[in-house]
Amino acid sequence: MLYRTAGQFKTSYAADHALFPVRQDAWLLGFILLVAYVLFPLTASEFTLNALLVPVLIYALAALGLNILTGYAGQLSLGTGAFMGVGAYACFKLMTIFPGMNIAVAIALSGFFSAAVGVAFGLPSLRIKGFYLAIATLAAQFFLVWLFEKWAWLYNYNSSGAIQVPNVSMFGLTVAGPGAAPVVKYYFVLLTVTLVTWFAINITRGRIGRTWKAVRDMDIAAELVGINPMKAKLSAFAVSSYIVGISGALFVFLWRGAAEPNLFDIPLSFRVLFIAIIGGLGSILGNYLGAILIVALPVIIGSLPAALGLPLQSATIEHLNVMIVGATIILFLIVEPHGLARFWAIIREKLIMWPFPH
Amino acid sequence: MEFLNSILIKPFADMVAAPDFLLQVLWEGLVAGVLYALIALGFVLIYKSSRIFNFAQGIMVVFAALTLVGLHERGVPALLAVPLTLLVMFLLALAIERVVLRPLVNQPDIILFMATIGITLFLVGLGEFIFGGENKVMITEQLGIPTGSFTFEPFGGFVSIEQKDLTAVIGSGLLVAALLVFLNKSKMGRAIRALGDDHQAALSVGISLSTIWVLVWFIAGVIALATGIVWGARAGVSFALEVIAYKALPVLMLGGLESVLGAIIGGLAIGILEKLFEIYWGQPLLGGNTETWFAFVFALIVLLFRPQGLFGEKIIERV
Amino acid sequence: MTRLLKTVLLATTVAAGLAAPAFAQDSVLLPNLSYRTGPFAVTGIPLMNGQADYMAMINERDGGANGVKLNYQECETGYNTEKGVECYEKTKAEGAIVTQPWSTGITLQVLPKSNVDKMPVLAPGYGFSAMQDGKVFQWAFNPPASYWDGASMILQNIAGGNLDSLKGKKIALLHLDHPYGKEPIPLLESYAAKYGFTLLPIPVGLKEMQNQSAQWLQIRREKPDFVVMWGWGAMNAGAVTEAVKTNYPMNQFVGIWWSGLDGDLKLVGEKGKGYRTLSWSMTNPDAPVMKDIKKLVVDTGKSQINKEAGEYDWVFYQRGVLISAFLAEAVKGAQANFKTKVVDKEQLRWGLENLKFDDAKIKELGLDGMIAPFSTNCANHTGHSGAWMLEWNGTKFVKASDLLQADRAAIDPLVAEKAKEYADANQPWPINEECKM
Repeated sequence: MLYRTAGQFKTSYAADHALFPVRQDAWLLGFILLVAYVLFPLTASEFTLNALLVPVLIYALAALGLNILTGYAGQLSLGTGAFMGVGAYACFKLMTIFPGMNIAVAIALSGFFSAAVGVAFGLPSLRIKGFYLAIATLAAQFFLVWLFEKWAWLYNYNSSGAIQVPNVSMFGLTVAGPGAAPVVKYYFVLLTVTLVTWFAINITRGRIGRTWKAVRDMDIAAELVGINPMKAKLSAFAVSSYIVGISGALFVFLWRGAAEPNLFDIPLSFRVLFIAIIGGLGSILGNYLGAILIVALPVIIGSLPAALGLPLQSATIEHLNVMIVGATIILFLIVEPHGLARFWAIIREKLIMWPFPH
Repeated sequence: MEFLNSILIKPFADMVAAPDFLLQVLWEGLVAGVLYALIALGFVLIYKSSRIFNFAQGIMVVFAALTLVGLHERGVPALLAVPLTLLVMFLLALAIERVVLRPLVNQPDIILFMATIGITLFLVGLGEFIFGGENKVMITEQLGIPTGSFTFEPFGGFVSIEQKDLTAVIGSGLLVAALLVFLNKSKMGRAIRALGDDHQAALSVGISLSTIWVLVWFIAGVIALATGIVWGARAGVSFALEVIAYKALPVLMLGGLESVLGAIIGGLAIGILEKLFEIYWGQPLLGGNTETWFAFVFALIVLLFRPQGLFGEKIIERV
Repeated sequence: MTRLLKTVLLATTVAAGLAAPAFAQDSVLLPNLSYRTGPFAVTGIPLMNGQADYMAMINERDGGANGVKLNYQECETGYNTEKGVECYEKTKAEGAIVTQPWSTGITLQVLPKSNVDKMPVLAPGYGFSAMQDGKVFQWAFNPPASYWDGASMILQNIAGGNLDSLKGKKIALLHLDHPYGKEPIPLLESYAAKYGFTLLPIPVGLKEMQNQSAQWLQIRREKPDFVVMWGWGAMNAGAVTEAVKTNYPMNQFVGIWWSGLDGDLKLVGEKGKGYRTLSWSMTNPDAPVMKDIKKLVVDTGKSQINKEAGEYDWVFYQRGVLISAFLAEAVKGAQANFKTKVVDKEQLRWGLENLKFDDAKIKELGLDGMIAPFSTNCANHTGHSGAWMLEWNGTKFVKASDLLQADRAAIDPLVAEKAKEYADANQPWPINEECKM
């Protein structure tokens, strides 16, 4: 009924391969964009913007980057946090070396630094596979965080060893730093995320994306049919790290406002990995669903007891919170190992049939 | 020239100049290495028998140590607390097998890996919920572990060896020996190894997967308790202990994910090498704290030459 | 599955419906970004307990501050900066009139926002030392002493009052590799240049807190004359046990006030004898305030303290009490000045800026012997109470020095310099020009 496909005829291959073969998908997307671009900014409180919407978008972006590497190209990485850090520090250095630089340009450029570092640490993937590679990416994780700590040039020899985001204006509007309005930051992040997502959807559907998938499914077989695995793997590392780097720059500049090196330590990597896996590997939509679950769930659980009037200590709530998040992860893995994106796919299939199964 | 000198010559000159200090460094490295090897062993056993990369080994160490200390705090005598803790670890193994692993049989590796991270989070919350977050003192003396120290004076200097570290080294050695005997001689042990060699074949000769899984997770729990006692005796028991799990990962890379021997040798090698590197190269030249990454980078370099680790099974891929 | 989804949805709607904060007219919301979980919980728990118990006692005994209930609330951060920001936003939305960020990392994120949000930041004995400059950091307060005060007092004490005697000596700074641990370095470096001693910073990574054998091997090799420690959480216990193991003379080992947790020293007991820690607070279980807390909060079972461990007598617990006393006094001061009952953020800022803990006040509050007199003003947000040296006698900390005072001549120029640096890096940054002090 809602998703009735009857009457939507395809008359060419191009139409059949279109991004939205079912018209309702396009309407749904339009509706979501409307909510994100118009409804949320109008209605959301400052807390919702700062503690829910912006982080969800930034985490989803990071997970999208990781998903390209792990979900599309099959290379498990545990170093996402450090690559986000490379993006953040690169952006910080660009902004301090060229004070007049437009922040959008700086963020776009900072991605190239993390892409370069990503490719360097991706080189071992040509020889090392599976969990060995995963642990090898931890080398990047720990080495880079150590470097952020020790290389004083990165934080301009600041005595506390942390980086701070100054007020940054773009076209006369303060977009980053303490003086920026939450709505402005939200729009900036939303716009970036929309652009990158559009790019990611297209690249994963195209020729490069197909070579990634071939390498993921079996790299030797892919090589036999003429795909260059080195090119495929390294391009996946580059694109993935680029997106992750951008998300890192957004993470610090548009959300946190300050960062010390251990912010980019392994818990951040795991968090992003959770989002990618719970959302669904090899899916774009999944990253958003995963981010909503992983980022919003603790916030909601945290405010539940107070809302229900349960007299629980804040620390106790936090303990329960950690337990519930852990249990939820296990539960979702058991119920649907392919992630939330698959859930949506199943619901959509059902909706297409509903209410007349056959 | 000056630079090369500081990398290639000066560190060795320092070693020779203060041999007692070098001995102390080697000893500290060895003790750390024993602990890495123990944790890595827990990983290897589980990986061998079920292809699960068990990230929860680190938190199991904390959980076991906390249970032991927590029971003692609630008035259970130390020597009774140990078997009770083992019972708790057994129940934990049983629960993990029933609730988490059984429904996830045949899922891709990465899903199982994620599930163990889920277990980690759950245990962190549960542990803090039951025992609280404060630092606890390991009941070293109550367990009969000596706490004094020996001091030797070779080469006109001094080397001090803590008795509890010595106990740790000997105890771990015995534990590993017992484990090897168990794996090689007992029926159960052979079943574990059979599963590691070939799942299908092992199942077809009547080896019960779920029994073996409970068993390996329990053994991993025993190892975790041993690690927890040893490490807790050095620095107290708290959730900060969890991070030592990361130290076992490069050991696994170096030694190979399936090799018991690799875990032991890799652990000792990494313990000693990272300490030597930190003291003679890291601190004077790089600003210190290189122990966080040295082991990973070292293992990565070794892996470039042997992608399956030093003792791992050769990876054969077919199309 | 659908049932689960339904439950979650239902729960969320219920939460959203009830989340609107219940504003009672006669209370002020004083949240604390606490950390009772995670690797730093060790240090956090006794402090938070002290803070909570003082507020509970005031509410119980006096019915709050002039009849206004002090609504002390904890928001758990686990010392995690991400949770910290979330807690800050959450408590701000609920109408908090102050924020107590605790972690230096969270302080870093909150500090620039405090100007925009007009939110007072109370960071007693931590945060940036440069926060002393009240003209630049209008909304941030770190009474009664800053880390640079602490570093200066420690140096004076180990030099026996004569800094020139440090010439040619070697001092190791064993610190957490974190903004907090790096705080004293600029001051110590300037001292080292001036008085001719060698400063050897030895960082301890967050992952090495419990395994400092490499750091202590370095100490053994370098043989510093003194080891000064800037440690937090699990790092303190690790350092003290390693020091015992290395046979480092305990009387040459000194910690800042966050490295003096009784529980950490209990790990080594007798062997830790001679270890000293600087402290701006003193324990005095016989002070009237402590007796009231014991009677009204601890004995009635409303406190979370660990009685078996003797937490009531710990330095950190009683320091937590003092921290809440600063805040409660600021509320009362603001009430008196603005002749109102329920104070708002700007009024509380005035209160924190005009704290006056003189001898009479300390006596009146019943904090006898627990703290040295200090007062804040618009130019000086620290107050500089000075501090004492405490020494571990094998079972507890005892006073081991007279009241020490920091070397203002060395610190104040550095404060001015760093405060200006901060303001310049964060343009446009408002400076309080009205303050003529």
